[in-house]
Amino acid sequence: MDVRMLRPALALYTGAFLAFLYGPMIVLAILSFQGPNGGPQFPIQEWSTYWYRHLLGLTETSRVSQLPVGDSLLRSLALAFMTTVVSVVLGTMSAEAFRTRFRGSGPVFYLVILGMMVPGVLVGLGMALLSNVLGIERAWWGTAFVLHVVYTYPFAFLVMLAIFNRFDRSVEEASLSLGVSPAQTFRRVTFPIIFPGVLSAALFSFTLSYDEFSRTLFTAGRDLTLPLSIYGTFSVEIYPNLFAFGVLTTLFSFTLLVIYGLLMKRFTGTRAGRFSGQEAVA
Amino acid sequence: MLTLSGITRRYGDATALDGLSFTVPDDAYVSLLGASGSGKTTLLRLIAGFEEPDAGQIILDGVRLDGQPPHRRDIGFVFQNFALFPHLTVEENVAFGLKYRESNAVASAAEVAERTQAALELVGLEGFGHRGVGEISGGQRQRVALARTLVTEPRIVLLDEPLGALDANLRDRMCDELRAIRERLKVSFLHVTGSETEALTMGDTVAVLAGGRIVQSSGSRALFEAPLNASAAKHLNAWNILSGTVEKDKLRTNAGILPVPGSLSDGQSAQIALRFDRIDVSDAAQVPEGRHHFEARFLTGEFNGPTALSFFRTADGALVQVVDHLSSPRLPRLEEGRTYALHYRPEEVLLFEGAEG
Repeated sequence: MDVRMLRPALALYTGAFLAFLYGPMIVLAILSFQGPNGGPQFPIQEWSTYWYRHLLGLTETSRVSQLPVGDSLLRSLALAFMTTVVSVVLGTMSAEAFRTRFRGSGPVFYLVILGMMVPGVLVGLGMALLSNVLGIERAWWGTAFVLHVVYTYPFAFLVMLAIFNRFDRSVEEASLSLGVSPAQTFRRVTFPIIFPGVLSAALFSFTLSYDEFSRTLFTAGRDLTLPLSIYGTFSVEIYPNLFAFGVLTTLFSFTLLVIYGLLMKRFTGTRAGRFSGQEAVA
Repeated sequence: MLTLSGITRRYGDATALDGLSFTVPDDAYVSLLGASGSGKTTLLRLIAGFEEPDAGQIILDGVRLDGQPPHRRDIGFVFQNFALFPHLTVEENVAFGLKYRESNAVASAAEVAERTQAALELVGLEGFGHRGVGEISGGQRQRVALARTLVTEPRIVLLDEPLGALDANLRDRMCDELRAIRERLKVSFLHVTGSETEALTMGDTVAVLAGGRIVQSSGSRALFEAPLNASAAKHLNAWNILSGTVEKDKLRTNAGILPVPGSLSDGQSAQIALRFDRIDVSDAAQVPEGRHHFEARFLTGEFNGPTALSFFRTADGALVQVVDHLSSPRLPRLEEGRTYALHYRPEEVLLFEGAEG
């Protein structure tokens, strides 16, 4: 194709991609500013922040009951946090183990990866049956937590594996040859260098766990996580307060991304610039 | 004193080091010359403890080293790629060992700073301490790597092709500086290289590694002028080696039948070595009295600056090189494709018994 045609074509493609990516989110955001008497569709009756106040319980009693998300939000955050910590630690440790091609590392690799390949509904159902057989009560912090780790750990593992693939072992050897113990070497050399990878693995684990649905559905027990309780409200009737909530959680995710971005910049940025002007000292 | 005895290291079916024995004396600069793949880096890694030998002993000052973890060996290692800590500044790189080593860590920040500064001064990097390691040149990185190792006062310093990543000018300068720094610190350096010039320049002692063993270890002049065997001679890139079988006190080689010093029994394999700069060239009819000669066709010349290299091929296919020094030229004008007599004084020949190895 003509190169002059290629650029506009790619621009158009990118534009369409972005529209499909952000379109739904933008529609949702607009509808969240619906007036108290409006429904979850256009037209907008009047612009207001009513549903945001409704969500936070700041309105007079209304015909719509408050969205029951408070507890489940906390649960989901706690679950995502626990999952992130465990998955990242496990992922880093096993990726470290895979640096030496130990016996049976091939099969073990595929066993780990299986955790993210098997259909969530199947594992969820299986876990529910298993816990029944064993007489273990299902809970978000127990059965669901285990499944979240099984699901997110392979992602963390793959990220860390890629990081260690590019890792120059000689810096660790340099540290050892200076008389620094292996534990200190990990703490002072290996970990700071792989830290950006650890952040990425954490971001993956957190996001995947935070809106995990199918695995949680059968294993969460009585107390619901956020995706489950939102799904629960769908089955009654949808009001714009759900949209308001969607906007708030999206903002929360963006905040997480910004923090991630800043940390990445802090730890991967070259030291160029930070210490410029030091030549004068010499 | 570092003593290696009977060191063997195998990788699967390949034997990298085969019963190697070697001694690095105290307060000496030893260079280890070996072709790529000869196992010279393996040898350093065994001494440093990054790998363990399959057999043999490594003893430093009477204490067995093999089997001990690398961080308890007290051996400095300067890597070919420098292996600086990318997340630390120059100063932090140098201070690293002092602050975090397992035994004798320096707790006082003032002492760490003082010794770091002294090490940076030693390698000529005063004032660069606050730079990131990405902001300095290759030569400066080399110095940081050296300072980082030297500041912990190791008992011996291993250098793995330390000049390989530097450009030619810088390499010459670092050669002098490495020697000077070592002489000030009185610690032994074991410097591994694939370049014969570097090995001869740097080492008080030069050891040649070939076939998984040290084939010769002697002073650089002695090694260059009188290699003890064909393997050592080959690594010096200054000797023509002709192998053949003995026939009536002469050697049948693919450069012809050549007289050899001493008497050998018929049918025995032997090799003779002729230094590049000890061969003269003349017309076939004009070989001076009292010199041995053989004939060969002039292939081509190669001009290297101070020296010129000429390549000859004998009728039986042996390649012979002759070096001429520009300051005192002794070769006639050579014509490509013409056959000349290559002659030499009988006592210039070195004889090695045994087949080509």
